[in-house]
Amino acid sequence: MGTYVIRRLLQMIPVILGATFLIFTMVFALPGDPLAGKCGERPCPPAYAAAFREKYNLNDPLPIQYGKYVGNLAQGDFGETTNGIKVIDQLKARYPITAQLALMALAFEAIIGITVGVFTGIRRGGFLDNLVLISTLVVISIPVFVVGGLSQYFLGVRLGLFPVTVTSANPTFYQLMLPAMVLGSISLAYISRLTRTSLVENLRSDYVRTATAKGLRRRRAVGLHALRNSLIPVVTFIGFDFGFLLGGAIVTEAIFNIPGVGGYLFRSIRARDGASVVGTVTVLVIVFLFVNLLVDLLYGLLDPRISHD
Amino acid sequence: MTTTQDTTTPSDKTSGVTYTPEDGLLLEVEDLYVEFHTPDGIATAINGVSFDLHQGESLAILGESGSGKSVTAQAIMGILDMPPAVIPGGHIRYCGQDLLSMPEDQRRRTRGPEVSMIFQDALSSLNPVFPVGWQIAEMFRMHRGVNKSDALEQAIRLMERVQIPAARDRVKAYPHQFSGGMRQRIMIAMAIALDPAVLIADEPTTALDVTVQAQIMALLDELQQERQMGLILITHDLGVVADVADRIAVMYAGRFVEKADVVELYSAPAHPYTRGLLESIPRLDQKGQTLAAIGGLPPNLMRIPPGCPFNPRCRRAEDVCRRDRPELREVVPGRFAACHFAEEVINA
Repeated sequence: MGTYVIRRLLQMIPVILGATFLIFTMVFALPGDPLAGKCGERPCPPAYAAAFREKYNLNDPLPIQYGKYVGNLAQGDFGETTNGIKVIDQLKARYPITAQLALMALAFEAIIGITVGVFTGIRRGGFLDNLVLISTLVVISIPVFVVGGLSQYFLGVRLGLFPVTVTSANPTFYQLMLPAMVLGSISLAYISRLTRTSLVENLRSDYVRTATAKGLRRRRAVGLHALRNSLIPVVTFIGFDFGFLLGGAIVTEAIFNIPGVGGYLFRSIRARDGASVVGTVTVLVIVFLFVNLLVDLLYGLLDPRISHD
Repeated sequence: MTTTQDTTTPSDKTSGVTYTPEDGLLLEVEDLYVEFHTPDGIATAINGVSFDLHQGESLAILGESGSGKSVTAQAIMGILDMPPAVIPGGHIRYCGQDLLSMPEDQRRRTRGPEVSMIFQDALSSLNPVFPVGWQIAEMFRMHRGVNKSDALEQAIRLMERVQIPAARDRVKAYPHQFSGGMRQRIMIAMAIALDPAVLIADEPTTALDVTVQAQIMALLDELQQERQMGLILITHDLGVVADVADRIAVMYAGRFVEKADVVELYSAPAHPYTRGLLESIPRLDQKGQTLAAIGGLPPNLMRIPPGCPFNPRCRRAEDVCRRDRPELREVVPGRFAACHFAEEVINA
């Protein structure tokens, strides 16, 4: 177990290097000049431009720039934005919002998805089962910006159930509710289907028959023996999805005007703010890798047949 | 000082019903029918099966795959999936009480303490995510309300009883960490945990290799003698039956075609199907010769042929076999066979 974790942590190093190098190269290759528009309508004074280029190593060739960046990164320095603000400070302000949104979306999709999946799995072929099969198909096939816009209009504007957009730098729980539901809707559909399929499969298994032959109540045979096995793939999916959600939801954050990591990344790309883009992506990659490691460890706990030795 | 470790709560822990066998008669199966209603039609898996089982007696039900032997076991146990299975007729009485008309909750409480079952594939029949000790202990916890640690202690004793080495150390291990034979021992421990009067073993050794088969059969035999259980042994393996069973019922296409004492049946079968089965056992003295086999396949249960269901495969079949279905009848005292020519077969 310990050696497994160490091995996985070591494997992260080349992944992080590769991911940052790719993103660094892409930002480098983008057309345009980070100095454009920096000094209003006029071009920047040569002295300022020279100092700027010097500060951000813009005169160096790509490998040198990248090398200097990684060197700083190894010391925990994620660089500065072109406005002279530390990228890490920007992320510190925004990441809690994204994390809160991710957790809310995750709770929403997990609780409702598993509940729906269990009920449809037990009463397979019933009215609820068909209703859920069709509605999940609809949800899966509609892009998130349509779901976001529609729910914003109907649930926010017409019915007034939820705030339409987020209006402060520190959104409240209530303001994040509708965005979280929109963000979790597609995964909700997947989770309910996965739970249903998995449960149906396990209900037919030999050990559930054994549980019945042991004289257990049906509630225990289904709710403990079958469900415990059915949740293995579901929990794995939820963990994996959490990694994605922590990467920030660019579209959802844009629709609801949420000041999270997704929106920040989007604006940084448009502003040609290389340090912000690379810094943010680096953090996201690291978070994603750690969440994945946790999911794999969790998988070993859920399924004793998996061993991490 | 009195110990109250087996504290019971009224809800589940005591069934409130006691079952006492009259004259040692545990189980009576009477004219049982089981059908499977599938989209393609109705398959009649059990077609009027009757038998009795007494304390300390072992009955082997012998048959090919699809002959209905497992379905019979599952019907007695009450673990058929209904639907698609339907029981259109018959009775299954345990100590005089009809299991089929019993309220479901009362019947559920008979599973484990009264009637218990061992399955063919112990790996898939044990829950992969719970430790084996936990799964055995569940019997005591759910049926008797025993607390966790006492139940686990009883589970260890059972594991020791079925000869699992280092039971105390292995009680927290998972099914996949055991060998096939050890897993089947765990199944047996679980099945006998509450001292059932009837034990049904559905092909308990099919998934095991031969040396382990013998050990498991010896264990079952020993446990049956010790506890005077009624044992129903379901198998397709004539070799497995001989040592353990007292009586044999041979099943074909959902019917018993022959019922007899094990020794008598082996020495002189009264049905051509049984004869065919016995002839198809490889024997050392016939080394190098072609092995006798019964030609053809068992009938499709949706279209059982008229007359004797075995007639298309029977070497002896005559017109009467294609026309009239032979009933199970007493050919000589204590020997039953469903064949028009049983007298000739038995004396052949």
